[in-house]
Amino acid sequence: MTSVGYDPAAPSPELERRGIRLGDVLFQGIAVAASVAATVLLGMIVYQVVSDAWPAIQEFGLAFVWTEAWDPVQDSYGALTFVYGTVVTSLIALLLATPLSIAIALFLTEIAPRRVAAPIATMVELLAAIPSVVLGLWGILVLGPWVRDTLEPWLQSFLGWIPLFSGEPSQAGMLPAALVLTIMIIPITSAICRELFARTPRDLMDGAMALGSTRWEAIRGVMFAYAAPGIAAAVLLGLGRAFGEAIAVNQVIGGANSINISLFAPADSLGSRIAAQYQGATSQLQASSILYLGAILMVISLVTNVIAQAIVTRFERSRRAY
Amino acid sequence: MTTIPGDDRYDITIRSAGLRRRRITEKAFAGLAVASALIAVGILALVLGTVIHKGLSQLSLDFFTKARPLFGESGGIADALVGSVLIVGMAMLMAIPVSILVAIFMSEYAGPRLSVALRIVLDVLNGVPAIVVGIFVFGLLVVGRGQSAIFGAFSLAVLMLPMVARATQEVLEIVPRSLREASLALGVTRWRTTVSVVLPTAIGGILTGVVIAVARVAGETAPLLFTSSIAANAISTDVTHALPTLPVAIFAFSESADPAEQAMGWAAALVLILFVLVLNIVAKLVASRQRRKSEGA
Amino acid sequence: MKKALALTLALASVAAIAVVGGRAEAAPARSTGTLVGTGATFPFPLISKWIPEVGKAYGIDITYSPTGSGAGIAGVTARTVDFGASDAPLSAQQLADCKGCVVIPWALAAVSIPYNLPGVNGRVHLNGQTLSRIYLGSITSWNDPAIKKLNPKLDLPDTKITPVYRSDSSGTTFAYTAYLSAASPQFSSRVGNNTSVNFPTGVGARGSSGVTGVVKNTPGALTYVDAAYSIQNKLQFATIQNRAGRFTTPGIRGITQAVSQLPKKVTSLSQLKIVDPPKAAGKLAYPISTFTYVILPTNSTKAADLRKFVYWAVTQGQRFGPPLFFVPLPTSVKAFAYRELAKVKAGT
Repeated sequence: MTSVGYDPAAPSPELERRGIRLGDVLFQGIAVAASVAATVLLGMIVYQVVSDAWPAIQEFGLAFVWTEAWDPVQDSYGALTFVYGTVVTSLIALLLATPLSIAIALFLTEIAPRRVAAPIATMVELLAAIPSVVLGLWGILVLGPWVRDTLEPWLQSFLGWIPLFSGEPSQAGMLPAALVLTIMIIPITSAICRELFARTPRDLMDGAMALGSTRWEAIRGVMFAYAAPGIAAAVLLGLGRAFGEAIAVNQVIGGANSINISLFAPADSLGSRIAAQYQGATSQLQASSILYLGAILMVISLVTNVIAQAIVTRFERSRRAY
Repeated sequence: MTTIPGDDRYDITIRSAGLRRRRITEKAFAGLAVASALIAVGILALVLGTVIHKGLSQLSLDFFTKARPLFGESGGIADALVGSVLIVGMAMLMAIPVSILVAIFMSEYAGPRLSVALRIVLDVLNGVPAIVVGIFVFGLLVVGRGQSAIFGAFSLAVLMLPMVARATQEVLEIVPRSLREASLALGVTRWRTTVSVVLPTAIGGILTGVVIAVARVAGETAPLLFTSSIAANAISTDVTHALPTLPVAIFAFSESADPAEQAMGWAAALVLILFVLVLNIVAKLVASRQRRKSEGA
Repeated sequence: MKKALALTLALASVAAIAVVGGRAEAAPARSTGTLVGTGATFPFPLISKWIPEVGKAYGIDITYSPTGSGAGIAGVTARTVDFGASDAPLSAQQLADCKGCVVIPWALAAVSIPYNLPGVNGRVHLNGQTLSRIYLGSITSWNDPAIKKLNPKLDLPDTKITPVYRSDSSGTTFAYTAYLSAASPQFSSRVGNNTSVNFPTGVGARGSSGVTGVVKNTPGALTYVDAAYSIQNKLQFATIQNRAGRFTTPGIRGITQAVSQLPKKVTSLSQLKIVDPPKAAGKLAYPISTFTYVILPTNSTKAADLRKFVYWAVTQGQRFGPPLFFVPLPTSVKAFAYRELAKVKAGT
């Protein structure tokens, strides 16, 4: 028993007789159980959504994704209107939020003195803390009317020849929804970019500037090159967040049934349509079509998040090699 | 930066037009960065300002003690407050133990491949949109049984699990191995080591993760829409039935035509934001104290 | 510091529990039962009046959440609630899916057409044809010739019309699209009649409250909603032309005349369709009137309370209607309601 040396982790014979080892086994057991439960939960979510959507999947097949239809009278459904709405509002939000987030991150890490950076960083984080339903409330009562009365007429005055900015200004539509999503994405993306920029090796930056580049050129050449994959991941994470937002979008997007090329016109997104119609589906086929929308939403959110995480992991691995 | 004092005519760094242009570009982008930060702060001020401005006047004793009004009457958010507290409280009870156990498994027991696999599971769970969680819990639990606060809490717990688990796991990894080894060397069993040595050391980070997760789910509307939205306009603590909640109440008020209800929406939003902000500030305080403690060690 | 934090949290939770416990005690505890229902937003004003009265009369605590007729039908079908409310009667398929439900008319009111058009000197006249064309998108501004023809005395601006519709599954949509389908074969073939339809243009909003809100905030907007919401929110509603050629309002007289053509004995729900009443109904008949229904499972553990509630609603509850522009049920309809209610029995 003692011939191979003293093992500190092995309980002494008295302890063994008292069955203290049981504690270890039990504890590990419940830890394993919890982990199994978490995995099973994920499986159950996927299974539940897909199986509830199955009647619609069987009826419409994959063509559902690119069919533009939503007619409960004819019991004919298609997801294109909502996929279009989700993608367009999220992309616009991305286009607006990404440069802003990068600029904010740069400001906080490179330009602002520490005393100023800390409170401003806190304020940007607080933007993330605003619940989406509150942003939606603000969107309906403040942003929407402003968009209809000020922003959209202004955009139309010099961009009105582009179909995107044609049509009648409206307080509910793609544009207010995209703006609300922008506000939601900025804190996420800028926080990640801040981390990235703060972690850039100082000697690379100093070396660039010693060679005569200005601060901005050093940032552009060194920092962005270093952080590019991370920024891509941050952008994708923001995109994933935008895809999944249902409530705030539902409050301002206008619940339209078909695609309209104008950004001013009412539209609808996957999450928003589910929130609006799931509880009141008039037929089993409509109910499972709405679940089919949920399955599509789940897939695009999953894919976006997985790609983002993959970039982050590869990025971390290559950084560790530094 | 590199300002060379002296007569500009002899300043070789300034004479070249290219450098002048580069300096101007530099200032322009710095200006853009400042402007962007100002925009972000401006938006925050705008939203918070509107909420405070429109909501503050509604706050009254009645607002905090009366239940939500029926058609055409006046009321308050007392029932929604009670419901939210109960549901978030239950969600915490459901999610925190499981999350910590999962994190412990990942950092203490699982091999590297299993740990990575679980990390992927948690990240995927984190990426499931709240509305999908809502229809999942609806299909699984509510159909045939009816809504209840317990189901609502469960749906929030599903949202909290990956957040708390990942935050806990990250903090557990930071706890130095030497601490564990010292404890084991003293004859303490593995599980006692984890519970009495590792966890307390990581408690600051765990608390931060919990507080942030609670702040997130306190404002979630979508899952509650399907699990706890059909509730009486009266204060109730019966968790076997649906209870009104603050986010769902705000959602209803926001779409109302009645200016009185819209005003209540602003005030309820103010209460919710204050709650969430306080939690975020608490989280930051705990995190910075933790950082100071570990830096000082 | 940590101890202080923990102590504060503990005290706060004790205080919170005390407050909550105290408040919960303050609620009346003599209820014999609770009924949970959901569904149409249309009758919500009236049901709001019923809830405290039924509580006083029988001690039954009723919870009602206005989520739309479709949600009411789905809720009672999935048995997630004890009763559902809908302005739309159940289709044959829905009745089959409900597995033993009865549909009982319990209120009668009208769908008003409120609009937001500031600065116009008088009430706008509309009819089924123009409304169909507005909701189909072929009439886009208020001074369209078709509208001007109906309103020769009005000074109509060229503001764009924004038709607002219900984005959730709605019995009001059902009644309204039934009327438009009767008035316009083009609407009938292109959009059709259901609680949820594919409107080709306009803005969607949730609930009667939501559509009223959009109209209130959007100049030029117009929608279809229960009269009580228009009045509550001080919105001007249009007068609608009936088959007698007169422009009528969704008031008590208009609704009463609209139901005057019911058979002496009502035997099925299809006889309760009262949109677009014939000329014989009366000169003041309002063409977009509708019954609204409660859906009960025939086999329920709460059958006794349900029967008390619905019987009270159909009899004494009706007197709360007129101030909200709900007309008391005609006798033949009450008789039908009693017969259907008798089918609700306590089961396993």
